[in-house]
Amino acid sequence: MPAANDKQLQELLAHPSVWRGRSRAAVETVPTGFTALDAGLPGGGWPRHGLVEILTPRPGVGELYLLLPVLAALSRATPARWCTWVSPPHEPFAPALEAHGVALDRMLIVRYSQGLTPHDGRRRRSDGVHMGLWALEQALRSGACEVALAWLSRASPRAIRRLQLAAEQGRALGVLYRSQRFAHLASPAMLRVLLEPLSEGGRYGARLRLLKSRGGSREPIDITWTAAAA
Amino acid sequence: MHPRSFRLIFPEPASSESDNGFPGSSATPSVLRVRPASPPPKGPESQGALRLEPRELWVAAHVPQLPLLAIRAVEQAASLARPLVIVDPENRQRVIDADPEARAAGVRIGMTLGAAFAAVPGIDARPRDPVRELELMQRLAGIAATFTPQVSIELPDGLLLEIKPSINLFGGLRELCRRLRDACRADPLLSQVRAAPHFTLAPTALAALAAARAGARCFITDVAVLPARLKPLPLAALRWPEEQNARLTAMGVRTLGELMRLPRAGFARRFGPEMLADLDRLLGRRADPRARLARRERYRGVRDFDHEIEDHERILQALAPLLTELEHFLRVRQRGITALQCRFHHYRAAPTRCTLRLAAPEASAERFTNLLRERLATLVLPEPVRRCELRGGALTHRTETSRPLWSPGELGHARAGEMPALVEHLRARLGAAAVYGIGRAAQHRPEHAWCIAEPALGAEMGRKMGTSLFNGESDAEPVRGSSLNRDVPIFRPLWLLGAPQPLEAQRGRPRRDGPLELLAGPERIESGWWDGADVQRDYYIAGDRHGARLWIYRECTGTKQWFLHGIFG
Repeated sequence: MPAANDKQLQELLAHPSVWRGRSRAAVETVPTGFTALDAGLPGGGWPRHGLVEILTPRPGVGELYLLLPVLAALSRATPARWCTWVSPPHEPFAPALEAHGVALDRMLIVRYSQGLTPHDGRRRRSDGVHMGLWALEQALRSGACEVALAWLSRASPRAIRRLQLAAEQGRALGVLYRSQRFAHLASPAMLRVLLEPLSEGGRYGARLRLLKSRGGSREPIDITWTAAAA
Repeated sequence: MHPRSFRLIFPEPASSESDNGFPGSSATPSVLRVRPASPPPKGPESQGALRLEPRELWVAAHVPQLPLLAIRAVEQAASLARPLVIVDPENRQRVIDADPEARAAGVRIGMTLGAAFAAVPGIDARPRDPVRELELMQRLAGIAATFTPQVSIELPDGLLLEIKPSINLFGGLRELCRRLRDACRADPLLSQVRAAPHFTLAPTALAALAAARAGARCFITDVAVLPARLKPLPLAALRWPEEQNARLTAMGVRTLGELMRLPRAGFARRFGPEMLADLDRLLGRRADPRARLARRERYRGVRDFDHEIEDHERILQALAPLLTELEHFLRVRQRGITALQCRFHHYRAAPTRCTLRLAAPEASAERFTNLLRERLATLVLPEPVRRCELRGGALTHRTETSRPLWSPGELGHARAGEMPALVEHLRARLGAAAVYGIGRAAQHRPEHAWCIAEPALGAEMGRKMGTSLFNGESDAEPVRGSSLNRDVPIFRPLWLLGAPQPLEAQRGRPRRDGPLELLAGPERIESGWWDGADVQRDYYIAGDRHGARLWIYRECTGTKQWFLHGIFG
């Protein structure tokens, strides 16, 4: 094969929208802050824009610590864009976030009351989730968000697909926290991470499995929360 | 130049009614005309007179018989069959205005009501209506404001405009005055009540006003000729207090000319420095700044539907022309609004109101449509809508922004308007309280150490961020373990529970789905005795059997109950 053709082929294959099997897709990434995780993830970090699903067996096992370094970095990016939290399970504690280097004035908390009535007067069971998905989609699509974190219990593959497209359009990183129960379901998210807590000898950390990634590590990745977080 | 060298020609009082005081295109411009003997400058009616450059040029408008007009404006013609007399209830029921019939029958201004009744028993006496009078004057001011921003109302029946800066824009002084007069004639409300404002032009505000109130023709652009022009005007044109006028009349002073001839020092001693200052303002020897009338402009649009509409998308479609009109209204004024109210009128039920509040001034119909769509989605309408009404809030300054080269987020780009836009968009649907920012408070009690803050918006935020980035604090520093100098907040959890959750205990050891292992602590927080929310707690970090770390505390007093207060996340 002539060298010119080969070069053209390589250029074509390097295009971000082309992904071949086990090869690593060329995606724009941002370092996670954990060396082991950076090595395991395609592109060496969290995708810069796209949807990431983090599945946990139960809330409060370190899923926020996993995101803290990137949250701190993105909240200090210029130009200013929001870091949106959609229906967080508790109040994000401002002093702790600030101590971890997160810029508080870029935080935008979105909560909706479950009793919100739609215009036809009937309340549907899924209204709360519906509102959450709507808010997350708006945040991702607007282009005004650097990162949007959301805690939504139910999300259909179709909704996740919409979120993935919205995140790509708005060039934002969307993070969807879900329960481990949904691990077996198909999801159009760009990256799916299963997080299990680890505690050995007073050191707390997590074991991460990449359930879905474009060329990421198939081995579980063990990380420990840094001194700052421990 | 001595005033004696001027030749005066007095106006005929009857002719000043028909013409508005301004020179018409064919008539001689000024009857009250003064020609200096020598050297002859160009007449004030020519544009050349402006070369003398008066600092200001004031147009005064006086509405004769305003109290009568105000009453006529609200009453039906049939109910005003009898001779009409307007009295001032605040001034011992004196007659302040009377229609021609009453005047012909012998009613004079200043009579008491009793005297008027004695003269004409069949008169219809009405108290004056100051509110309505002001409305008419504001209407006039609204017209005047299209010619100059410097408009002020001189209560009760005068209006002042400073027109010097507008002369070139309107193609000359003569053209400007003609347009102003035509605009007043064309106004439907003013012509309906047959209000015929009398206009005068002078280089000082008080002179223009005095000439207008005296009903004299006055079209002067030169300060130097002012004293001579004002000489024949009656003293009452200044509207000084009644007793001062009486004192001056007793001294034999009946006209402004006689007033100007009085010695300054003696005048100031007798009547006070305030009246002398007034006289100086009249002649342009003293500055006479006037407060601008702040116009309160609002948008209001109404649309009646042919049939009742229930569907939200159709309502939005029906509102589209109004929103386009609103956008045009705002764009021509280069203003924006931060509040927009929509009222939906129904057949029986009370109108449904929905108010949009915006974080930053906005003028785009597209944005309003998008926000209204979100708002309508959660709005409950009791009945179908027959009529829509749109009311804009106060107009605020809005800066136009350039459209960016990059699409949002591309190359890390965010348009300036997007951050507030997202907040508004979410708030339109979820409510204002649902979207907020967080901030820190200088308190030791965890529940008081953070606060809900209004989301930081726009430029001031970028600036703040810029400084924190460049003051020598590197990005990664607080993230990594080197932030030991801030080690106290590091031992704070990322999540704080809204209210502490009681934990059960077994033999003094806290339990939550199994026994909790205490990892660190205690850290005593004892604070707040001054505001009633006193806390005395020992905080511990505890690990549960699932690998989650919790922030728990034990009350130092009372039952020594264990509580869960935070999760390390």
